[in-house]
Amino acid sequence: MKILAVVRQVPDAEENVRIIEGRVDLASSKLVLDTMDEYGIEEALRLRERTSEVEIVALAVGSARSEEALRTALALGSDRAILVESSEPLDVIAVSSIVAQVAQSESVNLIFCGGQQADWDSQALGAAVAERLKWPQATWVTSLTVDGDRISGKHDVDEGTETFALSLPAVITTQQGLNEPRYPTLPNIMKARKKELTRKKLIEFGTSPRVTPVGSSIQIKERLRKMLDGKDAPAAAGQLVDLLRSEARVIA
Amino acid sequence: MTATENTQFELSADQQSMRELAVSFGREQIEPYALKWDEDKYFPVDVIKSAAALGMGGICVADDVGGSNLSRLDAVLIYDGLAAACPSTAAYFSVHNMVAWAIDRFGNEEQRKRFLPKLCSLETLGAYCLSEPGSGSDAAALSTRAANEDDSYVLNGVKQFISGAGAADVYIVMARTSEPGPKGISAFLVEKGTQGLSFGPCEKKMGWHSQPTRQVILEDVRVPAANLLGPLGTGFKIAMSALDGGRLNIAACSLGGARAAVAKATAYMRERKAFGKPLTDFQALQFRLADMATELEVAETFLWKAAAALDAKAPKAPVLCAMAKRFVTDAGFNIANDALQLLGGYGYLADYGVEKIVRDLRVHQILEGTNEIMRVIIARSLIAQ
Repeated sequence: MKILAVVRQVPDAEENVRIIEGRVDLASSKLVLDTMDEYGIEEALRLRERTSEVEIVALAVGSARSEEALRTALALGSDRAILVESSEPLDVIAVSSIVAQVAQSESVNLIFCGGQQADWDSQALGAAVAERLKWPQATWVTSLTVDGDRISGKHDVDEGTETFALSLPAVITTQQGLNEPRYPTLPNIMKARKKELTRKKLIEFGTSPRVTPVGSSIQIKERLRKMLDGKDAPAAAGQLVDLLRSEARVIA
Repeated sequence: MTATENTQFELSADQQSMRELAVSFGREQIEPYALKWDEDKYFPVDVIKSAAALGMGGICVADDVGGSNLSRLDAVLIYDGLAAACPSTAAYFSVHNMVAWAIDRFGNEEQRKRFLPKLCSLETLGAYCLSEPGSGSDAAALSTRAANEDDSYVLNGVKQFISGAGAADVYIVMARTSEPGPKGISAFLVEKGTQGLSFGPCEKKMGWHSQPTRQVILEDVRVPAANLLGPLGTGFKIAMSALDGGRLNIAACSLGGARAAVAKATAYMRERKAFGKPLTDFQALQFRLADMATELEVAETFLWKAAAALDAKAPKAPVLCAMAKRFVTDAGFNIANDALQLLGGYGYLADYGVEKIVRDLRVHQILEGTNEIMRVIIARSLIAQ
């Protein structure tokens, strides 16, 4: 079985980002492998540990810096990587065309991609790839079993949880709960540098973005830095509850 | 060569990834619990053992026995990353790895195969026993004896300030096998459970609460001659050689702790207001923060240089390691102490995490050779020329 794990490079949620001219300045931001995609890599690794003859190919479509996400995928244990480099931002539908073409040329049986992008929140990639390939898909998967070319598992739907069964080839979108992603190992970080990473150009895929980002307005939230005077404890508690409800909106 | 092509003072992509790995592991598996471990004086053996899967049980050990086969510079980055979460826990990794490295470097094939796979997988933990109640800085004056009887050695003596004692499984013990002075010392591998091996009570300490410090007591401890590490009479050389790396590692632990302290102080200054302005608006405090950040950068750069020299086996490496240990651990403590001052009363409270860093980093100026002994090593090298 050959698995294609689609990965993206996104700003690290643990770090601050700089806004320059109304855009997040990615050049000065620390970027990491999207956590949602890590679940897919981890699941692929577990399948390989359980089943023989599984090859894991990590694919990234994006800027040259996406190589870092692929190196992480390789350090985690992917067998090889493909980088389709694009200097301009691509919309999800354009990316889905590239993913589908790579899936066909590589003859993969199973595609993993994150249920939702950590940066732009899009959930469309898995569905768009499945549509192009006319493959079945299961989204927001939280457990997965592969038996020959049959897949079964559980996934989230609006009403709750649903169990599903489908046959390969298929597209699976991943999310928290599917597994606990491992850390790379120190020796594998070194070995990742020696694994095969194929670079392809956007032009090879005859795809161009059909959506052009024109501008963005970014919400910048300053901290409130409010201090409550605790001399009257019941009053302070009341104010705190009000703030948690109306400002922080962490309680209803 | 343009500025962007000059990578001499930059880490490689692999090294950055290794540091990132240590930072992530620390942030996720250590930092959330570090204050609790400190308060409860809890040695987090399970968390330490879980780092084996990342290759942290034998960082500089060869790969044929399960080590990660990395350089000293790589290791420094890893301890730095771990120490940002908890200097005390990171420092135990340094102790364990020093033991594993010494067995890899000085052990024979049989010893390497017997001890290292389990040490690298952190199935067993290591401890390093040099200091004694009556000999610390003057380590060559140690009085623990190892008497040769048939095909074994019988060890008698007490080792002081032993990190991990009681919990560790493999102890490198320096003991006297012949004349007074450094040439009469040999190194032995003593396993937990050996008859006559016992431990003193846990010492009450200022910091380093996430690892036990106890005496190691040897009463007629009989070990087979096969447990002699390196040739007879080379124990002091082994001890000093292990300490070259150990000094870099402990300096890296200071660096990581200081790095966390600067981050905490900066975050606090942004949030805290006094006299109607955030603390970041006060120039006196800005200058202090600027000095702390500068000291941190200088310490880091010099530590990398010393580590690279040890990797290159440069003749000057031991002196550079001593300089790095002295400078970085002093700078680290001062930076953390300044951070505490910037947090005012909150800096003194345990919940804010800075006083713990100060307490943890204080001992780095004392152990792995006091900073006074570092000055002795440095001065001797100058005067000898």
